[in-house]
Amino acid sequence: MQPETATTPALEATVLVSVGRHPVTGRARRADQDARGVELAKSLPNARVGLLYAGHLGSDNESALRGYLGMGFETLSLLEQPEGADVLPALAEALEASSPQLVITGERAEQGEGSGLLPFLLAERLGWPLVTSLAAVESVENGQATLLQALPRGQRRRLKVRLPALLTVDASAPAPRQSAYGPSRRGRLDTRAAEASEDTAWAEWQVQPARKRPKRLKIVKATSARDRFKAAAAKAEGGGGQVLSDVTPEEGAEAIFKLLREEDVLR
Amino acid sequence: MLDILLPILIFAALAVAAVGAWRRSRLWRQGRHARVDLLKGLASMPRRYLVDLHHVVERDKVISHTHVATAGGFVAAALLMILVHGLGLAEGVLGWLLLLASASMFVGSLFVARRRRDPPARLSRGPWMRLPKSLMAFSVSIFVITLPSVGLLPEGVLTGAFGTLFALILAVLVTWGLAEMLVGMGWGGPMKHAFAGALHLAFHRRPERFSTRHGGEGRSTALKALDLNDPDTTLGVEKPSDFTWNQLLGFDACVQCGRCEAVCPAFAAGQPLNPKKLIQDMVVGLAGGSDAHYTGSPYPDRPVGEHHGTPHGPIVAREGKALVDAETLWSCTTCRACVEECPMMIEHVDAIVDMRRFLTLEHGQTPGKGAEVLDNLIATDNPGGFDPGARMHWAADLELPLMSRRGQAEVLLWLGDGAYDMRNQRTLRALVKIMRAAGVDFAVLGDEERDSGDVARRLGDEATFQSLARRNIATLDQYRFARIVTCDPHSFHVLGNEYGELGGHYRVSHHSTFIGELHDAGRLAFRPWKGGRVTYHDPCYLGRYNGEFEAPRHVLRALGIEVAEMQRSGFRSRCCGGGGGAPITDIPGKQRIPDMRMGDVQETQADLVAVGCPQCTVMLEGVVDSTADVRDIAELVAEALTDQTDQTAATAGESAQPEASLAREVA
Amino acid sequence: MSEVQRRDPRREWIARNRLHPQHSEVMAELGRGAASEWMGPHGVLRRNPHAVGFTGPNGVKRIDRSGAQQGVTGGGASAAAAQQKPRVEISDPAFSVVVVPDMAGGRLSGHDRDLLGLARRLADADDQAPGAVLAVVFGAHKESGFEEAGIDRLLHLESSDVTGYAPEARLSALGMIDMAWSPRHWLLPDSKLGGGELGRRLAARLGERPVAGVWQVEADPGQATGWRCITRGAAESLDIQRELPRIALALAECAEPVSDIRHAATPVALPEPLPATLSRIEDLGQVPVDPAGVALSEAEFILSAGNGVRDWDGFHHTAEVLGATEGASRVAVDDGYMARDRQVGATGTWVTARVYIAVGISGAIQHLQGIQTCEKVIAINMDPGCDMFKRADLAVVGDSTRILQALVARVQQSREEQRDAA
Repeated sequence: MQPETATTPALEATVLVSVGRHPVTGRARRADQDARGVELAKSLPNARVGLLYAGHLGSDNESALRGYLGMGFETLSLLEQPEGADVLPALAEALEASSPQLVITGERAEQGEGSGLLPFLLAERLGWPLVTSLAAVESVENGQATLLQALPRGQRRRLKVRLPALLTVDASAPAPRQSAYGPSRRGRLDTRAAEASEDTAWAEWQVQPARKRPKRLKIVKATSARDRFKAAAAKAEGGGGQVLSDVTPEEGAEAIFKLLREEDVLR
Repeated sequence: MLDILLPILIFAALAVAAVGAWRRSRLWRQGRHARVDLLKGLASMPRRYLVDLHHVVERDKVISHTHVATAGGFVAAALLMILVHGLGLAEGVLGWLLLLASASMFVGSLFVARRRRDPPARLSRGPWMRLPKSLMAFSVSIFVITLPSVGLLPEGVLTGAFGTLFALILAVLVTWGLAEMLVGMGWGGPMKHAFAGALHLAFHRRPERFSTRHGGEGRSTALKALDLNDPDTTLGVEKPSDFTWNQLLGFDACVQCGRCEAVCPAFAAGQPLNPKKLIQDMVVGLAGGSDAHYTGSPYPDRPVGEHHGTPHGPIVAREGKALVDAETLWSCTTCRACVEECPMMIEHVDAIVDMRRFLTLEHGQTPGKGAEVLDNLIATDNPGGFDPGARMHWAADLELPLMSRRGQAEVLLWLGDGAYDMRNQRTLRALVKIMRAAGVDFAVLGDEERDSGDVARRLGDEATFQSLARRNIATLDQYRFARIVTCDPHSFHVLGNEYGELGGHYRVSHHSTFIGELHDAGRLAFRPWKGGRVTYHDPCYLGRYNGEFEAPRHVLRALGIEVAEMQRSGFRSRCCGGGGGAPITDIPGKQRIPDMRMGDVQETQADLVAVGCPQCTVMLEGVVDSTADVRDIAELVAEALTDQTDQTAATAGESAQPEASLAREVA
Repeated sequence: MSEVQRRDPRREWIARNRLHPQHSEVMAELGRGAASEWMGPHGVLRRNPHAVGFTGPNGVKRIDRSGAQQGVTGGGASAAAAQQKPRVEISDPAFSVVVVPDMAGGRLSGHDRDLLGLARRLADADDQAPGAVLAVVFGAHKESGFEEAGIDRLLHLESSDVTGYAPEARLSALGMIDMAWSPRHWLLPDSKLGGGELGRRLAARLGERPVAGVWQVEADPGQATGWRCITRGAAESLDIQRELPRIALALAECAEPVSDIRHAATPVALPEPLPATLSRIEDLGQVPVDPAGVALSEAEFILSAGNGVRDWDGFHHTAEVLGATEGASRVAVDDGYMARDRQVGATGTWVTARVYIAVGISGAIQHLQGIQTCEKVIAINMDPGCDMFKRADLAVVGDSTRILQALVARVQQSREEQRDAA
């Protein structure tokens, strides 16, 4: 086992990173999911991890991208693209040229359309399998990777995928390590020119800051005036729950049990 | 025979000591460059020793007298010995003086011996246990040898078979004494402290700490800024040789008296920190080797002998063990109790922050919630990650005057990040009420305010600190105000002492100082205190960092409160555990520091503990089943305000009238 | 009997006209006699106020509005109403709208129903040429309400290669559907339960730019498709208004679910069997996850301990029996009873559990902040005045040790019963 792993060539992994946006202040930062992808890649044993970014390099973006370098990288490959360009062709070409075995990226960008489509388009274009919501890479051997996929509520599914493959991570992947200032300042942004293709559709859309979605009204399908009146006059929900005092432990337990049953959390 | 032997012995010892001293100084010079005025330092060294250092030593009278007798006796005896026995100038008064000096040293050594008979746990043992014997050997032998020189004993007493034997014994004793006292200075015996200590005082990295002849007690507590733009050096301290040479010298001056250990809150809480051990570890690293020879109390729960280092090896290993564990560095609350107590004036906190800087800036290994807090500071300018636009939400009903509208005010009220904390908002409200009652012309920065950078800096993130500080300075520069008043001692310290290096010079007052002044000026009147027993907890960043022990007590007295002092108060106040990012890094110990502090409070049987710091409030209020309430001084003052104050303020100025009435409504 | 309802306007008129001489007759014929309520032809409940009430002892008519009287006739009427939801059949649709519901847990989720509601809006926009909603369901399911959800056609695929996690096989099935039905709209839930992923795969496969995160759709004759939509972009921070493309991934509450009508839900089949595909992704099945090891922020059921817990073994045992993830207050962590990563609150982890049981936690403000988003909070505490009780949906005053013991006993007893029943 030991010598075998020693002779296996290093696993080439590329993490596609993007410039994130802080949810509260909107400042540029390393995108959370991408950073988790970098963390996941860094924790792979015997892997050579490269960072790839395609997009515009502004002063804000630079400090955000340097955030990834601060996780312990010397260089970040940067495909220079004008603002608002469709980065898919540039990324696909770069990946075809470097042909890594694993490409890891976040599920959705924190800026722009953020439709989460890019990994799918990339996988389709490269003809690679794609696994979403990656939580961990358990092992890589014989050209196959055993993965843990995150399901809602902390559940996990084990998958085996043939390499090369594209993996996306979401918030259930391990939290990214801290970005250290020293390496981030010293790291290099390896800028390469890449052909740009304009995203024409984007320009046609109306974009504005998100407004609060209207809360769905509880529509009372009352068939009688009495029901409608009752619904309208009903006290708003909340305002303190039920308090059981002077009950035996058994009665208390019974009430709790009933609620757990109602909520269907007991298995 | 001794006539010939003594000069040889003395000069040989001096020569060997000189070689040792040179070798030792080469160890120190492995450190980074530091700008020190060597001549001025050497010139002021005696004063620093006799005045400043003695001031610290004198807190323990017995030890102080012992040291005066022993060290004074030794220095005099050693110099006279060279003259009398080395150069043969025994005539006249010199011999008698030598007798006196060695006698004094002997008396002193008796006290040292008594202390070493059953030493307290904080003292290191090992070679230090033989020191009283060495002292006696030196003093007794020199005394006896000098007796014939002054004619108290006949010259011939040391001849003859018996005399020769006696002379031989004396020679052996002298050799032992010289070896320990002179050679040991340079070669690393206990007496190293005298040599390194003297130079450390001369070349101290904070010359401002020492008093000057023009009066004025020195206080220098601001951390020194790190040059972030130098691309060639690692940021912070990775290896012992990354310290500046005078820091290394300072470590070497440690006498292992353990006073730091006795006052360290982290050590008492069972967290893996012992300031003395840390300094000794730095000494081990400076010379290379393992800590197996350390003979004091270890870091709690960390056995001695597992750590080792070299001058150019890492202090903290990324994985495994090196010289020091990272938890040790992150246990520190930066309360400066150790620095305050250190008779050698060693700067423990500077060293710890230097090493933290490396861990954070180069490794990105801030433990606990540190990374999250720093990310929040970068992204939202406050450690909690709250919306910067929500900073003033707590005061929506107060209609606080904003600097951005006013442009100038007499007082700029710095709110601090407590503005986001529901508990501290009560304090802030109280403070606003007081300001209004006294008719103070004040304004706040509102949403323009940012975290002062205190936490970032103590967590070692100098980059974020400087970024926050520079932006705060740029904001403050836009406005005109006479002074800044804040109820947060951390902001107080950083704004007042640490922004200066980055170009921001302000007159900053703690709210207790300001309230005291208002009261003295007759602008506030208080109802007499009717509550129970009250004690006062000195915040580290107000007291030890800035020497403000009196103002809060003055305010409490003005309220009619007689403070029931805790045993550890004033400059010896015990930390609440909330400083230096300690609650964020959260290194586990056996007990919690705030619990111990509330224990101190309980000893005074106080019903209420007055504090002057939002961090202390949170930490002390977090103690479960505590017997005392925790209240900020501002809250106590606001409650005690009489209506009369409101009226005086209302009549004082028309502009103050609506504010005063509003304050009443708020109350 | 024919399912088709035939209306007799004359009879309905007589039934409405109480003064008509034949009124009682017709009512009796309709089986409603003196019924006070009945379902009208448009699905609206009709009521005859004269039939309500009773004659009191003094010969005066009395109406009891407490609702007690309703049960007399109401029961049968409402049961009939459910069956009498008007049934709509679109036999010759002008186009089709394909919906691929998540079917989480084998049932239509709320999100799925919202999506079907949206599909109905798209399909029914033009009265003259209604479209059909085709739902594609993969794998076994337990749902019986497809008709009420507004599905016209149901394509149920349950061959072994599309069950489990089989995105590639499902994708090829969707490809066949696209060829066979050429749907005008593809609607998928933009969820973590598979829909979001499948929809994106489909778009990439069909080479069409879809829209994700749709939360509002409006008719807009100016657009080529006749619809425009508003979607969330840039990590929920932007609203993008654009034309609704053929493939749309919609968020929950994008439309109102269907409620008043039934649809046919006619089973349909693929024109040809699914080709065998070589999957490059192999599903090795769900991994059993120890609830105690689930990250607090992800856990859906948390049993949290505070200063008031004395019997720690009992607490851990309860968590194990309930299958709950363990949490703790700051004090319990500080005292060393629980690990630091189990701390709930502003200074620990912000949790999103559906059910949160706080045992012996008084409810410091920092703790309450951390459980803000929990749906149901149950509190057990000795002190009835504690702040946690103000937040709790159910609060029990008493000794936590004994209540937890009783709870364990109760849960085990019910499991016992279930086993016996099975």
